[in-house]
Amino acid sequence: MIFLLLTAIPLLAALALLVPAGRFLPGDAAVARFGVAVSGATLLVALSAVTAFDFGAPERMQLEIDRAWAPAIGLRFHLGADGVSLPLILLTALLTFLCFLYTAKHPPAGDRVRLFTALLLVLEVGLLGTFVALDLVLFFVFFEVVLIPMYAVIAIWGGAGRRAAAYKFILYTLLGSGLLLAGMLLVGVNAGTLDMTELAARHGSGLTHGVQVTAFVLMGLGFAVKAPMWPLHTWLPDAHTAAPTVGSVLLAGVLLKMGTYGLVRVALPLAPDGAAFWAPWLGLFAVIGIVWGSLACLAQTDLKRMIAYSSVGHMGFVLLGIATLTPVGVNAALFGNIAHGLITGLLFFLAGAVKDRYGTGDLRELGGGMLTSAPRLASILTFASVASLGLPGLAGFWGEMLALLGAYKPHADLPRTTFVVFMAVGALGAVLTAAYFLRMLARITHGPVPDARLTAGPVAAVSRYEYAAWIPLVVLTLLVGLWPKTLLDVTTAPVRALLGGG
Amino acid sequence: MIVLASLTILLPFAAAFAGMLLGPRLSRLLRPRKVEPVPGGGPATTEQAWWRAAITAERSPLRNGPALLACLPLALAAVFAAIVAFTVWRSPGARTGTLTLIETGSVPIRVGLQADGLAAVVGLMVCCVALAVQVYSIAYMAKDPRYSSYAAFISLFTAAMLLVVYSGDLLLLYVGWEVMGVCSYFLIGHHWEDRANSRAAVKAFLVTRLGDVGFLLGILALGVGAKSFVIEDVLARLSEMPHATVTAAAFLLLAGVAGKSAQFPLHTWLPDAMAGPTPISALIHAATMVAAGIFVVARLYGVFVTGSGVLTLLGVLAVVSMVGSALAALAQDDIKRVLAYSTISQLAVMAAGLAVGADTAAIFHLLTHGAFKALLFLAAGSVILVTGSNLLGRYGGLRRAMPVTFWSMTVGLAALVGLPPVSGWFSKDAVIEAAQHAALHGDPEPQGWFSATPIPETGPPPPSITQFHGGALKAYAEANFTQVNWVAPPLPGWAAWLVYLGLLLTVALTAAYAVRLWLMTFFGEQRGDFEPREAPKLMTWTVAALAVPAAIMGFFGGGAEELRPHVGSALIALALAGLGGGAAFLLWNRDPARDPARVLGPVRPVLERGFYVDELYALVIVRPVRAAARLVVAADARGIDAAVVGAAGAARRLGGALRAPQNGNPQTYLTGLLAGVVVIAAVVVVFL
Amino acid sequence: MHLLYPAVVSALLFSVGVYGVLARRNAILVLMAVELMLNAVNLNLVAFDVFWRDRLHGGQVLTLFTIVIAAAEVGLGLAIVLLVYRNRQMIDVDRLRDLAEDRAPGKALDPPGEATPDWVAEGAS
Repeated sequence: MIFLLLTAIPLLAALALLVPAGRFLPGDAAVARFGVAVSGATLLVALSAVTAFDFGAPERMQLEIDRAWAPAIGLRFHLGADGVSLPLILLTALLTFLCFLYTAKHPPAGDRVRLFTALLLVLEVGLLGTFVALDLVLFFVFFEVVLIPMYAVIAIWGGAGRRAAAYKFILYTLLGSGLLLAGMLLVGVNAGTLDMTELAARHGSGLTHGVQVTAFVLMGLGFAVKAPMWPLHTWLPDAHTAAPTVGSVLLAGVLLKMGTYGLVRVALPLAPDGAAFWAPWLGLFAVIGIVWGSLACLAQTDLKRMIAYSSVGHMGFVLLGIATLTPVGVNAALFGNIAHGLITGLLFFLAGAVKDRYGTGDLRELGGGMLTSAPRLASILTFASVASLGLPGLAGFWGEMLALLGAYKPHADLPRTTFVVFMAVGALGAVLTAAYFLRMLARITHGPVPDARLTAGPVAAVSRYEYAAWIPLVVLTLLVGLWPKTLLDVTTAPVRALLGGG
Repeated sequence: MIVLASLTILLPFAAAFAGMLLGPRLSRLLRPRKVEPVPGGGPATTEQAWWRAAITAERSPLRNGPALLACLPLALAAVFAAIVAFTVWRSPGARTGTLTLIETGSVPIRVGLQADGLAAVVGLMVCCVALAVQVYSIAYMAKDPRYSSYAAFISLFTAAMLLVVYSGDLLLLYVGWEVMGVCSYFLIGHHWEDRANSRAAVKAFLVTRLGDVGFLLGILALGVGAKSFVIEDVLARLSEMPHATVTAAAFLLLAGVAGKSAQFPLHTWLPDAMAGPTPISALIHAATMVAAGIFVVARLYGVFVTGSGVLTLLGVLAVVSMVGSALAALAQDDIKRVLAYSTISQLAVMAAGLAVGADTAAIFHLLTHGAFKALLFLAAGSVILVTGSNLLGRYGGLRRAMPVTFWSMTVGLAALVGLPPVSGWFSKDAVIEAAQHAALHGDPEPQGWFSATPIPETGPPPPSITQFHGGALKAYAEANFTQVNWVAPPLPGWAAWLVYLGLLLTVALTAAYAVRLWLMTFFGEQRGDFEPREAPKLMTWTVAALAVPAAIMGFFGGGAEELRPHVGSALIALALAGLGGGAAFLLWNRDPARDPARVLGPVRPVLERGFYVDELYALVIVRPVRAAARLVVAADARGIDAAVVGAAGAARRLGGALRAPQNGNPQTYLTGLLAGVVVIAAVVVVFL
Repeated sequence: MHLLYPAVVSALLFSVGVYGVLARRNAILVLMAVELMLNAVNLNLVAFDVFWRDRLHGGQVLTLFTIVIAAAEVGLGLAIVLLVYRNRQMIDVDRLRDLAEDRAPGKALDPPGEATPDWVAEGAS
């Protein structure tokens, strides 16, 4: 019941915003407060779901709601969560809340706050729904609900080149979704049910090898576009660069996770034979993505674009973890998801703040000396960068380390030597990650302040709303990094269950 | 016990956070008077302003919030470390404690500590040096506007180093290992207004990180092989693991060690790291972090002994590092760079000790080196502060004006050269003796912690009061002897001779550059334009306090057989040191105003640039990576993205072909419609 | 009377109308041609109504219906033509092409390959 509430609150709020402005919540400030209140309420519901969750048995689906939806074709309205999805639900609710908090004081360029708020609420419905849905078609519906609001957010409030970026985003992901739907239906028709828990419990029995291989590649491609996996990643830098700050945060923080979550939740347990067949390829593309993303970052000159490409590298680690088909690898993927959501969300917030203050995100135009001109902002940026480059003791490290650990000893059916090579290359990619983040920091935070900036007057200090949006992310990054047990304890048992007790 | 060890780590850790967040606020609370900050800070500010501020800071360190937050927890931690060391010495043996076990789905991570003889003495050394540096920094960094974050990072660094030392789990050790690296990055780049400092910081981090990749992979290999990341379990299960795995893991670990301990070929970051404030060089780049590599080899000595060929490689790398950097030190003009190259050289001496199986001697040298090198750097900091320059050519004649610094530095340099009876002589002699034994007799002396003299079945004998350090080490060895017995395999003859001769050559070269440094700084006529005087008391006292262990620490090793001086090797080494030092003196004496290094002639630029290794790396690694980055961006835009955009374009062109009839003329549409009707009608008529 | 005669006349009438609709440029003439086609239909309806001797005379009723529709249609059509003429000073059907999609690329959709963005051109420095 609690998850129905979770998705219903933002949905009803978004519908309420259809009432003309004269009758309901006149003025942008009221709408912004409304958004904060609604997402805050959703966050509270998510937190209460966490308290209601029985951590003694995280591998069990809990807080389920299972009703007939369209009995004629066997669709069920089935929601629930286990240890795999619970952290992501919380992350989504938190990030959305922080985004509203940030928007309350820093509305996106182009006004129309009412529409913006409504779209973000619909987005939240889709995101939360994806993580709680347990019926394949229901999952797909929520998966698709996300696209339109995000498209609109990019196309209306974006920066330069927003329309091209928005088109590319929606067409590319729709293409992936088409393949995904085909793969899901293939499984559903052959297995005779669309219920994810039941399909996962069967571990692919009843499906022939050929069906599994086909279904996995179809679903895998659909999720890989979203993740994004090299070479299907080119929509991402454009979309991130063009999107407004809040859009980038949600895009990087949550949307990308839908792809990897889908791989873990849907593709892996439903078609294990197919997964074993395609895993070396997935690993190969993941590792190429790690190195490719890092090298691309080294040559970027735009802050947001660089962070966007860094996502390609980080999601490469996540995909590498999944490709090992071991509990530790999938754990790494889930951990990496959360860590990337926290850290990259923070990085995009900061990039937005830099752009607001300096009017540009170009590393060359920014010059240097941000530690002098805006010391707090630069310090938090340094923290986020260091976290993102995978410093042990911060959240980013554990995902990478566990992925490498998984790759060192992959599932028994996979070619070990190949994966050991993947591990070595991936680890070298981690050095490149450090290189581009340090290059960026050295460029913009170090050095003397350029003369042009000195005459331009003081840079605005970090506002209270910005602190409110950033500090939870900083604290969680530290907490998860220093005490990885919090997350690993929740995910380990369900991951073992998903992989068939392995 | 373990609670104390964990407090030793947690206190500086908490101090780091407190200092970062509350330091300046506490200052304001304690000292309502406002002190105007000067950008840049440190020695770079004007002399007079700095001097006044230093004296103020010295008089009122109790009102300096960040200083209090940095020093008090660290002092407490040092006390705890001392208690731990004392307890381990009283009743030897490893204490372990586990806080929790983290399930990863494969090999679990054990969050736990291990306090044994090795950890206890190194931990104590770290705490003492860090405390000295923090106290020294109060005066040195008095006027720095960012003193608060500086002190906090030192605290964080200390916590990380202690975590490495006390950690009972390889991954926990790695966490500390990397956090040290990032603290080093922040501290080298402390004066980031200057782009050069920022570049040095980035270089230091990246080079060590490159080595750390190997280190992490090595840890993973060991952990998966032993099915545990706990150090004790890994060492206990070495014999069950495939030999190839252990060897590979040892080589991978060696990469991390070479990076952190600045050994060839990953040594290039250390001389550049001297861009950081001098106390940082003393703490991180001389006494502690760079020693962590050596510490880890000692900690995991079983792995290196079991893996075949690893110790030989370590020995060769050590010889290259020690001779090469000693030569480079001869030609440097910057006092800190001289000391930096000397650090590489001395670390290589420790590595050589490990390579020939003298691990006790190597750790002993690590401890004495920690003391005397910290002393040398801090004294150099005082000199730099007074003269306002890093260059040896600007000093001269400081002996009378800076007596405390002069005498302390003399003790430090004597230890560096290895003159009896200061500490360096004992430790270096132990290493040379072991190398000589390996070269002459072909197999290592039965020594070291794991291969101590046979232990009676009844258990370890009670240690005597007089053997402190060596006693603790030995006691540790005996406590562990019952578990495993590692005997280092003999080095191949050529390698042993190479190590031995390299060590002897290094002794001579060390003496030469030490004497050059000493003479050019303290003797002759004043060459620079400055007012000679002694540094603030807080600094000179700290330096003088460090001189005590640097002078007498050697005697503590007397408790262990292998650490006692041997006449033969000691005489050879002394003679060579005399030769090197004498040559430097004669050259200097001919013309005290000029640099004795002038005789190097055309070789000097080569040595000064460190054999152009930096340039080589720029050519072989940095430029290809940048080219690859540009290539990737181009390929992304013109290859992958072009394919995506091209697919969209193709779809549009296809659509374009279909919409050609839609020209907006309704008559054309109608014609089509009609034609369609006619065709359908015809089909219906003909076929139905 | 044989059914053939009205049928042929109606077919001819319809063909003339089709020709007029498809070939004439003047909108008024096109409208007139449409009237011709409608009347061809009317003629058919009446002729077949008589031929089948429909008791309800559905054909004739439908014809009246069509005539009313045609009158309304012509009124509307002429009004449109008049407005078009006022706006453009011409009523040539083949020059009224606002319904066509603009052929110039990049107006409706953003072009797929705009000018190479500047971040592509430059590399690391």
